[in-house]
Amino acid sequence: MNFKCTDLDEALRAPELPEDAVIHAQTCDPCRKQIELWSSISDFAPQLHEEWSSPALWNRIECRLEVPPRNTGSTAWRVVLAAAASLLMAVGVYCFWPTPLVTSSIEPGAFLTAQTLKEVQSAETTYVQAIEKLSAAAGPTLKNSSTPLAAMYREKLSLLDSAIADLKAGVAGNRYNAYLQMQLATLYQEKQKTLEEWLENAKHNN
Amino acid sequence: MDTSDGALELPTLQPMNEPSSYSTEAGLVAACRRQDVRAFEVLYKNHGSQLKSVAYHITCNHQDAEDAVQETFLRAFRAIREFRGQSTLKTWLWRIAANVCFDMSRKRKTETEFTAIHDRGTSGPAQRLALESVIRRLSHNHRMVFLLFAVEGMKHSEIAAILNVPEGTSKSWLFEAKKELQRMLESQR
Repeated sequence: MNFKCTDLDEALRAPELPEDAVIHAQTCDPCRKQIELWSSISDFAPQLHEEWSSPALWNRIECRLEVPPRNTGSTAWRVVLAAAASLLMAVGVYCFWPTPLVTSSIEPGAFLTAQTLKEVQSAETTYVQAIEKLSAAAGPTLKNSSTPLAAMYREKLSLLDSAIADLKAGVAGNRYNAYLQMQLATLYQEKQKTLEEWLENAKHNN
Repeated sequence: MDTSDGALELPTLQPMNEPSSYSTEAGLVAACRRQDVRAFEVLYKNHGSQLKSVAYHITCNHQDAEDAVQETFLRAFRAIREFRGQSTLKTWLWRIAANVCFDMSRKRKTETEFTAIHDRGTSGPAQRLALESVIRRLSHNHRMVFLLFAVEGMKHSEIAAILNVPEGTSKSWLFEAKKELQRMLESQR
């Protein structure tokens, strides 16, 4: 056995202490103490992992992540809100959607006359166009925002679009059914409301 | 869609479950690249605890450690589009954290010397306090390697990638860090 005290540093570099170093330490007090201290540092280190509860930390980070680094935001929002307001006014002026159709309790199986159907279809076309414009106004912010809230609005609008498509398919095969037309109007209203909510929310967060 | 009872079931705004795409590295990277906040939340859940711990040993108090973690995520969020996928997302995040910690340790070096031991609300075991106090006197690289390897249990290959040095350097720095700690602890006896 040729292990000397000067070899200890090299021995400590190894992942596991070599056998000859262990044997040497049994008879060499300074080396034994060094090995013990070395081992105790390694053994004790994992206990230094510092764990504490920070329930608000992620929320704090999230709030900062949601602040969009934009300089032209306020101007852009003014344009978007002006467009939305104009659209809503246009919707009000046209009064294209007959209120009784939405709010009255139409029984399934009720039918429209040819003239009423024509009016309803005309109103629906105008309404859809208005909602599309509203969608276009809300679209960029809704699409680009990575917030959980935006994701939920996107999901809701996607579900509404899917439901509208289903119902429109049903209406296509039964155009005179007032009940289905009313359901369709309800969905359009919900979509309009959702888009308006998003615009309002975006305005406050800007 | 059921329209039989006249009442439509409209979707309500509720928190979504964690998408399964976040469970794969590729899915998580893609979501992070889209600056999907929820993907960053997954990163936080996966690494926040270790990041806080390392930051604590660098900054010496919980509040500053939380600030360091916050700064890490803000930098990561802003820089994610530049992430080219040449390392894992974890390595990339830890690289940012290492830089944040380095910046903070430089800024607060003077304060550290005086607040190190007294910051803790309750005094821990003497051994822990002794080791904590000497760790803070290590150079930044030695301290980072020691914390990542010995305290947080990372591999040298990971640490080398985080610190952008060869694996041999990581091993060498760990050895030097432990020798330095040993020397300082012996001198305290």
